[in-house]
Amino acid sequence: MTTAPAIEVKNLIVGYEDLNAVRGVSFSVPAGGRMGLVGESGSGKSMTALALMGLLPSGWQARGEVLHDGVNLVTQSDKALSSRRGKTISMVFQDPMSSLNPVRRVGDQIADVIHRHSDVSRREAMRQAIDLMVQMNLPRPEQLARSYPHQISGGQKQRIMIAMALACYPQLIIADEPTTALDVTVQKQVLRLLNAATRERNSALLMITHDLPVIAAMCDTVAVMYAGRIVEYGPVQEVFRNPRHHYTRGLLDSQPTMDNIALDGTSRLVSIPGMVPPLQRLPSGCAFHPRCPAATDKCRAEMPELAANGAACWHPVGATAAVEA
Amino acid sequence: MTAVSTSETPAKPKRRRRRNLTLTIGIVVTIAFVVMALASFFYLPHNPNVPRIPDRLLPAGAPGYLLGTDALGRDIFSQLMVGARTSLMVGAGGALISLIVGTIAGLSAAAFGRIADETISRGADIMLSIPGMVTALVLAATIGSGALTTILALSAFFTPSFTRVIRSAALSVLQEDFITAARLYARPTWFILLRHVLPNVAGVMIVQFTLYFAAGILTEAGLSYLGVGVTRPSISWGMMLNEAQQQVGISSPLAMWPGLAIVIVVLGLNLLGDGLRDVLDPKLARRT
Amino acid sequence: MSDRRPLLAMQQVTQAYSLPRTALFSPPGSFTVLDSIDFDVCAGEAVGLVGESGAGKTTLTRILTGMERPQSGQVMFDGTDIWAAGPAARANFRRSVQMVLQNPRSSLDPRMRVGTALLEPMRSLRIEGDHVKRLHEVLDQVGLDSSALERFPHEFSGGQLQRIAIARALMPNPRVLVADEPVSALDVSIQAQVLNLLKDLVRDLNLGLVFIAHDLSVVAYTTSRVSVIAAGRIVEVGQPVELFTRPSAPQTKNLVDAVLTVESGLSGAAL
Ligand SMILES: Nc1ncnc2c1ncn2[C@@H]1O[C@H](COP(=O)(O)OP(=O)(O)OP(=O)(O)O)[C@@H](O)[C@H]1O
Ligand SMILES: Nc1ncnc2c1ncn2[C@@H]1O[C@H](COP(=O)(O)OP(=O)(O)O)[C@@H](O)[C@H]1O
Ligand code: SF4
Ligand SMILES: [Mg+2]
Ligand SMILES: [Mg+2]
Repeated sequence: MTTAPAIEVKNLIVGYEDLNAVRGVSFSVPAGGRMGLVGESGSGKSMTALALMGLLPSGWQARGEVLHDGVNLVTQSDKALSSRRGKTISMVFQDPMSSLNPVRRVGDQIADVIHRHSDVSRREAMRQAIDLMVQMNLPRPEQLARSYPHQISGGQKQRIMIAMALACYPQLIIADEPTTALDVTVQKQVLRLLNAATRERNSALLMITHDLPVIAAMCDTVAVMYAGRIVEYGPVQEVFRNPRHHYTRGLLDSQPTMDNIALDGTSRLVSIPGMVPPLQRLPSGCAFHPRCPAATDKCRAEMPELAANGAACWHPVGATAAVEA
Repeated sequence: MTAVSTSETPAKPKRRRRRNLTLTIGIVVTIAFVVMALASFFYLPHNPNVPRIPDRLLPAGAPGYLLGTDALGRDIFSQLMVGARTSLMVGAGGALISLIVGTIAGLSAAAFGRIADETISRGADIMLSIPGMVTALVLAATIGSGALTTILALSAFFTPSFTRVIRSAALSVLQEDFITAARLYARPTWFILLRHVLPNVAGVMIVQFTLYFAAGILTEAGLSYLGVGVTRPSISWGMMLNEAQQQVGISSPLAMWPGLAIVIVVLGLNLLGDGLRDVLDPKLARRT
Repeated sequence: MSDRRPLLAMQQVTQAYSLPRTALFSPPGSFTVLDSIDFDVCAGEAVGLVGESGAGKTTLTRILTGMERPQSGQVMFDGTDIWAAGPAARANFRRSVQMVLQNPRSSLDPRMRVGTALLEPMRSLRIEGDHVKRLHEVLDQVGLDSSALERFPHEFSGGQLQRIAIARALMPNPRVLVADEPVSALDVSIQAQVLNLLKDLVRDLNLGLVFIAHDLSVVAYTTSRVSVIAAGRIVEVGQPVELFTRPSAPQTKNLVDAVLTVESGLSGAAL
């Protein structure tokens, strides 16, 4: 059986004034699928997410096609979009503190989402909210439901946010750096829950992060983003084990791992030289060329498109390269 | 609602242009208003307090009277000029006193520990719970009405809100790491407040000042309209409204001029405040 | 262990904060953040501190740098108890122990030019000497151009800002640097620039470094000795790679288990 993808993005451009933060991005997440969007900060990941949600800051505009549930979200009115948010498509943000209402009890906030999108009574919505909190492994859910956001820990807040995002069995959940603000031990618990809960509901997941290990653990496909474009796209196993783009290669090489550390303290970590260019000063051709070890004149002059090997690169990394085990 | 297709239109530089326009209108109106108020000290077409019965109720454009005369034959434009002076003095005075007191109180509440914070914040709450009109009426009853009374009433009314805004702005600056760094170099608290906190809340202060300036003008007009503001020989736009209504009914052009002046200046100052907020907000400005 | 000659040390430090009363007449509760902590660093040595969020790492650095006075226990610098010492020894301590904070964007005043910010510690600590010469020396050490002095923080990337923050800490010629999560706010692709710099400084300047990070491999890479802190107590100390590959305390095991790597993710063993 073929079902429509949970979301299909075609040539998405997002910008304000004459600057574009996202410059022609295309990808699709199959129903129930799990895609990762990875890149350094400032590469345009969040703007992509906000465009999909219709939550761009004022002055920003999106162009292109975002097909979801049979409609093009880019051309929908604000009203149509907001009735959809939380129902067929929902989002978990990086900072749980600023996305929860500080003066409303967390249980009520989950119940609000349920009450708004389905015609159940307030009481029933509250019961479902508590149910969700139990599924989120939150301790003493009845009591916790009556707490205000400032009374609970960061990890608990993020689980409340996930509960809200999952409440209406959405077709797609977008998670923008959901665990970046969390402690490593809490991060693992939250990822586990997000993983199990999305699978259970058959919701598709678009995981946005700069953290490669998180993508490796959670996703089937990955899109690597740099300076507003997808530079490599494919199954996680292939892209991470056998990166073709020099940027992906650089990201993988900069990951510190315990095994490549010499006990005498002489080892050096690898980094990608330079930094992500600001929107006003995008380099010509392949935007990565000032930082790329393999750049040639062709790279400086012409912008490569995504090729059959999944990478947008004139001189892809040789087939022998692999992740250090 | 019909969905409007935006997919074909390219991203337009709308926001910055709108922001610049707001700011420009605000600046132009504010300068015109201040110039008019200051000019009144040096030149007035006529004495605005001397009645000229033969010239009463002349229409705008009558020879010698740009905007005509009122029921006692006094020149309206001259009255508007002196009214601008009152508005400037009372609005700016009230906003300035609140700015100074509110900044000192807000910074102290934010920086000098829990007891200072509790005392100042609760004090502000109590002051806010007393309606501004009551303060104004009590003051007018005890020390008599007039420009100074109105300034004091406005300050009493605005200071607590100022204190709150400055306190919360200062609190957010104080939890930044560069404050921790300054503490590490053993900088005393007052130094940190002056050197790091004040410059970083200056934007908020300027914007708040403009907005309260406007609110002050509006409140002053209201008080004078009710007869508890300034009295002749001083003139206020609110008083002109009141007189126009008593003499000929609110619908006449007599009431239109001071009403228009109030609306334009208050709107102008608000546009200025909004424009400055966009320009001064480091969160908006810092984006690359 | 016996022949260690610590430059900066805390001995049996305990710190507790009082909690707000739960009821009007109930006695105020208290919460022990640090419990009989021993911790030290020698010249030319990088020591790490790891632990879950809320374990007390930042509080420890606040006490180590003299920003907070411990309720009991001593902080010893160069053999003298800083809270019992005279003003001259205190001043010496203040300039000799400097700090690098987590968020490079917020650790510099946005309204202050970089040059002014770098001179702040010199002015505040009343350090004499040729400040301009020192500015250029320090910029050189962290690998920045002197054109940086005239610019404002918003004109720099996160990695560059963190170098500036390190430059500021180096200005008074400190002997110990305390870095609380200095790379947590940076992308992995550039964190190596800052880590390599810290490592070089320890070697070249014979600096003592106290280094906190939540990424265990980053700690293992940067330091030669690590303490694990949990709920205000040091539960384990050792050589980082050995400790993290063969943890013995359950709290250390917990931290190690939480580590995600690309390899474990790809093999499906991560979650
Ligand atoms: N001034 C204070 N009053 C009361 N409790 C405090 C105070 N400062 C810190 N604490 C508490 O002390 C504990 C340790 O805090 P600390 O900031 O040292 O943790 P940390 O290990 O640095 O954590 P993180 O990894 O999140 O930075 C926490 O439970 C914190 O809530
Ligand atoms: N409100 C804004 N105004 C101007 N530029 C912005 C704004 N928000 C983001 N940007 C710019 O857009 C680009 C992409 O940002 P973002 O999508 O947030 O990146 P990421 O999520 O990948 O870190 C960056 O160059 C960033 O500086
Ligand atoms: S196109 Fe050229 S510059 Fe870009 S990644 Fe490939 S080799 Fe490097
Ligand atoms: Mg982002
Ligand atoms: Mg901390």
